This record gives sequence, structure tokens and C-alpha cells, in this order.
Amino acid sequence: MKLLRAILALSLAALFFWGFHNRHGLFPPVGKLFNPFAGFWRNGERREKPRETIRLPGLKDIVEVVWDARHVPHIFARNDHDLYLAQGYITARDRLWQMEFQVLYSAGRLSEVVGPVMVQHDRLQRRLGLAWAAEKTAQALRADPLVAETIRSYGDGVNAYIRELSPQDRPIEYKFFDYAPEPWTDLKSALLLKYMAWMLTGESKEKLMSVTREALGEEFIRALYPDLPPYLEPIIPRGTVWDFRPSAIPTSPPGAAPSAAPETGGGPDAAEGHEGLGSNNWAVAGKLTRSGNPILCNDPHLELTLPSIWYETQLSAPGVDVYGVTAPGAPGIIIGFNRRVAWGVTAGLSDVLDWYEIKFKDERRQEYFFNGAWRPVVVRTERVKVRGGKTIVDRVPYTHLGPVAYLQGEKPPLWGIPTGAAMRWTAQEAENELLTLYKLNRAAGYEDFQEALKTWGCPGLNFAYADSRGDISLWHRGLYPLRWKGQGRYLLDGANPADGWPGWVPWEQNPHVRNPERGFVSSANQPPVDATYPYYLGWDYPSFERGTRINELLSAQNHITPQDMLRMQTDTLDLRARLLLPKVLPVLQAAQLAPLEQRCLKTLADWNYESRADSAAPSIFNALWNALNELTWNDEKKAGLEFVYRPLSNVFLDMALNRPDSTFFDDKTTAKTETFPDIILAAFPKACRNLEERCGPWGDAWLWGRARDTDILHLGRVPGFGRPRLATSGGPGTINAIHNTWGPSWRMVVALGPEVKAWGIYPGGQSGNPGSRFYDVAVDDWLAGRSYELVFMKSADEALPGPSSRLELRGEK
Amino acid sequence: MTGIIVCLLVLLVLHLLTPWWWWVMVVPFLFGFFFWRSAWRSFRTGAAAAGLLWLVAATAYHLSGSALIAQRMAMMMRLGSSWLMVVAAGLLAAVAAGVAGLAGYSIRALFRADSPKP
Repeated sequence: MKLLRAILALSLAALFFWGFHNRHGLFPPVGKLFNPFAGFWRNGERREKPRETIRLPGLKDIVEVVWDARHVPHIFARNDHDLYLAQGYITARDRLWQMEFQVLYSAGRLSEVVGPVMVQHDRLQRRLGLAWAAEKTAQALRADPLVAETIRSYGDGVNAYIRELSPQDRPIEYKFFDYAPEPWTDLKSALLLKYMAWMLTGESKEKLMSVTREALGEEFIRALYPDLPPYLEPIIPRGTVWDFRPSAIPTSPPGAAPSAAPETGGGPDAAEGHEGLGSNNWAVAGKLTRSGNPILCNDPHLELTLPSIWYETQLSAPGVDVYGVTAPGAPGIIIGFNRRVAWGVTAGLSDVLDWYEIKFKDERRQEYFFNGAWRPVVVRTERVKVRGGKTIVDRVPYTHLGPVAYLQGEKPPLWGIPTGAAMRWTAQEAENELLTLYKLNRAAGYEDFQEALKTWGCPGLNFAYADSRGDISLWHRGLYPLRWKGQGRYLLDGANPADGWPGWVPWEQNPHVRNPERGFVSSANQPPVDATYPYYLGWDYPSFERGTRINELLSAQNHITPQDMLRMQTDTLDLRARLLLPKVLPVLQAAQLAPLEQRCLKTLADWNYESRADSAAPSIFNALWNALNELTWNDEKKAGLEFVYRPLSNVFLDMALNRPDSTFFDDKTTAKTETFPDIILAAFPKACRNLEERCGPWGDAWLWGRARDTDILHLGRVPGFGRPRLATSGGPGTINAIHNTWGPSWRMVVALGPEVKAWGIYPGGQSGNPGSRFYDVAVDDWLAGRSYELVFMKSADEALPGPSSRLELRGEK
Repeated sequence: MTGIIVCLLVLLVLHLLTPWWWWVMVVPFLFGFFFWRSAWRSFRTGAAAAGLLWLVAATAYHLSGSALIAQRMAMMMRLGSSWLMVVAAGLLAAVAAGVAGLAGYSIRALFRADSPKP
């Protein structure tokens, strides 16, 4: 009896211990988490002392940090070493978990902390060779004395914080996923650069284009996916003179195209393009502004998460005084301004990643064919450690072009990745992007800006620039391979040397413009140049609406004020609708419509084309747009093609407005020959029906902010830590480019002049701690289109408006 | 009553010095093994000491800056109120400690001769 009781009680105790001590799937270890002395209770609001002194080993001198009312740190150091050490330390205090998590994501190591659900992701990252590329970059960074010192000090600062961090005070995510931070290294900063490079340049359409060409032919490709689309206003204004002698441009090899289309292995998630990616920047010269000084604006559109990808900081030391946003994990400011210059970036999106079909000698894959001979394959062994599972060993074959990510017969997790092909990518070249940032942070004028861009490699970006002397400029800068025209649109032949990259576009010949006649520069990810530019850079850029709208607004104004620019950043005019509806509405008004359709038509007819959250018109227009595109393109499908990739809106609008009897409008499945009006009449009822199915009967659920809501989720997808279902205005084709999970990740306006003034906001908050009020404090203002005036302190002693606190960092006694 | 207070104080000290939650199982187990006199009392004393400590400590944190994180945790666990998280902390500690105390006592009882009835 006693024995039975003892066994039962002990088993029960063991069961409870096991149950409370461990994670179960993704369910957290509740014993650890609920413990008031070490669990989530400890992650409450940190009560800032108005004045505090902390010992920070490694400092050479005193560093003063002032936190302003929005918890932005203003770091004042007496030398560069201390400045970056303090930046690492301060950033880690607010964002340690995010810094490390992003790096684990990039390196393909999430299975170690999250578990088996991340295995597929990790294998993808490993096979793409992100860690391999990061190792090369880390070596290059170490070899540059200036950057090596910067990155080492930054890492020392992060590690100083990790060392003083007790298990009780670790960020909540460590407790939720139940693991501990590991020391920071310079490799991790390099991995962060690769994370950004992949995010902005990783998308490939070679396989898609090869498959489509096989089924529908070259003519079809040229018509639907042109190198230079209609309505194009290139970033570098037409008529800009190329003041250089181009280097030797390769010519297309005769009959080099691979004959067979690659295996497809299942369809992609959507035939629509990735419409969220993009950004805006522009700079206005003094001749258009009220003050007579330039104004620079930037809003990079990225996936929106909490904590946010950006962290605001002011960095001040002898020789540098700069404010802006940093990406936690990398030293310096990425987008920002100092007393004399301001800069902002958008994704360049020129083609810097090619896939090459590889012919292996045999099944053992030890040799591959190149230039008439067999060459040895180098194997990199990847070990994916899996929490609560067996380590997975991947042996990735590398050619001189790069890794063969997926072998024939395998199924890549991203549809765009072809099998049996090697990946050549400029991020694999060891460039020194951090040196660019180092120099930009200290730039005093145009020459410094230009000099800084020299070492920028990947991702290619559009750098907009303005300074207090009155210069404005825009550079489409990246490491761009010399290509023959069209190279990289289809899969390339890995055996043919003529398909390789013989060299790079010289950096000073990258597309750029300085002080153009029109008085402004701008970019919104459209093609950088027209056909006069001697080099071929790629063909796959987003549609034209944002760029055209920005240019239209800037051309129509003078006496521009910063407030005008802030308003412009939240402009929601839908150019597509403004162009298309005058053609569509008369057709519908002449037709017999059901009551619901009449209501929708009236809503569209009364619309001012602004994609506002509280209007139903954008919902209807977007449903109509989708239906029009589906009815126009889907019937072109032929010969085993799983889908027709949707062409740019430029292409569709050009046809609809200028060639309404184009054969593409003809529905190939009917005997009748349809033209655009027929498609309108079929698409409109379909659109109304779709909306009714999705949103229910006509009512509030049809409003744009409800029909298309925006989720800002937690970076680690922890439920309860995000801000889902936000009612947002704008859309992918408006300047205020908010989409389902993407949007303006940082809006910045800088008014240069004797006294620089700036405004900014990002949808999140400075603290990465979900238990802090600074975690998501700016989300509502961001939704409302408000921006904050930024405090650019002149010295650590300056008095600040609103509550602030001070932290003094001192080296060891 | 003394049992509860002593156990609670020992737990408090250990919790303040270390990050380990499982003191709420180890301590009642040892108390049950060495000191406590009946199965039910072992369960009760352990549960009361640990449950009370975690409940009071969680309340103190809730009142001094941790309400927001408790609210987010409540959303994560799909419990409506952050105060339910305080209750959950108390219950969790009570159950774990009670069972551990009972186990400690029951093991010890195996080695102890039944006391003869007077």
C-alpha cells in the first residue's frame, strides 16, 4: 500500500517536473516562464534612473548616453573605439534577442533553438551558401584596419552586455524558446549583411522565364515581360549624358541557350509577383524649396515586424556626428544624416544573381563540365543541428560559380530556385559595405559621398543624397556584373565560359545623376536607366506607379516645405485606378447590372482614387484589377505550363488603354473574339462576387482597411507579441506602400541647411522588450501618418524637451 | 503554520539567489522527506508555501511594472486577463510543490516502521 503510494507520488512529481521544465513543441516551459523570480515577470518595464553610471570593460574614456523621450540613445564618445563599443552595448540592451535571432535565421541555425519546424528553412539557407558568403565577407572586413576596429569594438560592446546579463534578465524570447545567448562575433555582423542582401536580391525568375519560354515562345516573353516596360520613367532622368567611356561589353554567345526547360516540381504559391518589395526616396534641390535648402526623403518598404528591423541612434565622437537608423547587429548608421549631408536608400533590384545549369560527370558528382574539361567539385559539409532531433548532414557541391543548391529530383522550398543549377551572386564577392557606411556617416560633401559608395557591393541600392551646400544626387550603386544583353533572364549554361561574368561595371560608371535640371532626384525601384545606358543591368523591376506619382507631385510644386514632404510620404493616390477607371466606368454604366454591382459601380464612380482605409472603393477596384488580370492572362496557358506569371501593371495598362483589341484580351477558350470591353463586363460581376464571398454582404467589412488588413507580427512569430489586423490606408502601388505584411519600415524627412531638421517614424518602438511601453509605441502614430521631429543633440549637456535620462559608461577602474 | 513559513522563507532565499524554478519541487520534497508528519500535511504545507510565495511575488511584479508583459503573456496563452497569470503562477507552484512534498513524505515512509498504536 505504502509502496504503491510512494510510486504514484513519485511518478506524479516526476511528471509535473518534466511537464513544467520542458518545452512541448512550441509550447513554452511554464515552470521557468511563470517563476516570478526569473520568468516573464522579470521582463517588465525597466525603470530608468534619471542618472546612472555603469562600468563597461574595454572603454578607453568616458561615454555619455542620453535617452530622449522616445527612448532614442544619443551616444557621445571621445574616440571611435569607444563610440562603437557603446553602440554595441546600448543596442544589445534594447535588441539583443533580435540581433541574434536574425543572424541564426541567416546562417540557417534556427533549428538549434526553435526545433524541427525550421529544418527546411535552415537547409535552404545552408544550401544557398549564406554562411559561406558571410565567412568570405568577414575575412574582408577583418583585413580593413578601419572596419576591423569598428566591428570588433561593436562586438565587444555586445559581449559586455551578454556577460553582465543574468539568466533572470534575459529577453523574454530566450525564456519562451528556452535557450541562452551566445557570444557575438564579427562573422555575425557579416551574416546580417547577407540577410539583408538575400532579402533584397534573392528573388530569381530564370526558372519561371525558361519554363514560360518553352511553352509560349520568345515573342510572348518579349511582349509581356519587356526589358523596358511602357510608362517607364527611369530613375536617372532621360537625357542624362553618360560622361564615360564604357569598358568592353560582352556579346551574347551564339546558340548558347539551354535547350530543355527545367523540371518544375509543383506550382508556386501565387502567380502574382511579389508586390510588397520596394521603397521610395527623393531629394529636392533648394530651387524648389521654400527655405532654399535641399530636403531629402526616404521610406524603405520592408517586411514589418516587432521588434522593428530599425533602431534609431545618434552617434557622436570627434570626426563624426550622425543620426539615423541602424540595423541591430551592424555598427554605424545605415539611413540618416549628419550636420552637412543626408542620405537614404531604396532597393536597386538590378540582377545580381544568376543560375547556371551544371552537368555532372556521374552520380557521384565529383566533377562537372566547364569549358571543354572536367573540373573538380568542392563539397561543403553542412550540419544542421536540430533541437530534440538528429543532426542533419548536407553535402553541398560547389562549383567555381557557387553552390549547387538543389539537385535534380529534389524539391526546393522556394519555387523560383531551379534544380541542378549553381548560384552565382554578387553577395559571394567579399566587398566592404561597412566601409561605405563608415564613410557615409562622416561625409561632408558630394565628393565624400561618392568616395564612400566605391566599396558598396550587395545589395545594390539607389542612394539618394542631399547636402547643405545645395547638392543633390542619386546613385544606383552596387557590384554589377558585365553582361551581354538579356543575360540572366533565362537559366545559363554552366559549362560555357561565355555565360560567365567577365568583370564588373566600373563603380564610377554606375548610373548616377547630380543636380539634374528638373530640381529633384527620386527612385521607387523602377528600372534605373533607359536604353541609352551602355550596360545591361537586368529586366525585373516593379511597376511604375510610385515612381511616376512621386515625379508628378514633385514637378508640380515649388516652395516645398518639410511638411509637404511628410504629407507626400503618406499619399495614397492609386495611379492605376486613375488611368484605368475612365475607360472602365462608361462600359459598365452602359451595361445591365445586378443591384450589388450597381452599388459597387456607384462607389467607384464617386471615388477620388485615394486608397483610404475607410473607403470601400479601393477594395472594389483591387478585386476588379485582379479579375481583369485573371481573365486576360490565365487563358494563355499552354502545353503543361502551370500558370502564366502576371505581367507588370504597366504592360496591362498599356494594352487596356492603347490596344483594347489586343489578342491577349481574347478568351482562347471561347469561339468568340473578345476585346477589352468584353473582359470588363465579365470581370466586374466576378470581382463583386469575390468580394461578397470574402467579406460577406455589403457593409463595413468591405472597407479597404478591413478587406485588406495589415499584420505586424513578432519576428519569432510568438503569438500575443505582434500587432495583427491593423486597418491601413495605401497599397503596393501608392507612395504610402502599405501591404498585408509589408510597408514603410522607416519614414524620414531631412531638411538641410545651416541647422539641419529632421522627422521620422517607424512602426514599432525602440525597445525590443514586449513588456516595455516603448515596444510598439509608435504603431498608432505611424498608422495615422504622423512623424516625430527628431532630436539631433549638439552635446551631451543639452537640455531636452520631455523626460530624458542619462547613462554614463566608464571603463574599469 | 510554522511549516509553511519556514518552507516559504527557504524558498524565497533560494529563489532570490538562483534562477531555478524547480526549488518549488526540491524544497517541499526534502521537507516532506525529513520533517513533515503526514501525507496530506506534506501536500498541503508544500502547496501553501510555494503557492503563496509565487502568488504574492507575481502580484508584486504585476503592481510594479510587469502588468504589460503579463497582459501579453495572457494574450499568448489565450487567457483574458493579466491577473489570471498571477493566479496561474500561484496554482502552478502549489501543484508542483504539493506533489513534490507528498512524494518526499511517501518515500521516507517506506523506510519508517509503522509506529505501534498506543
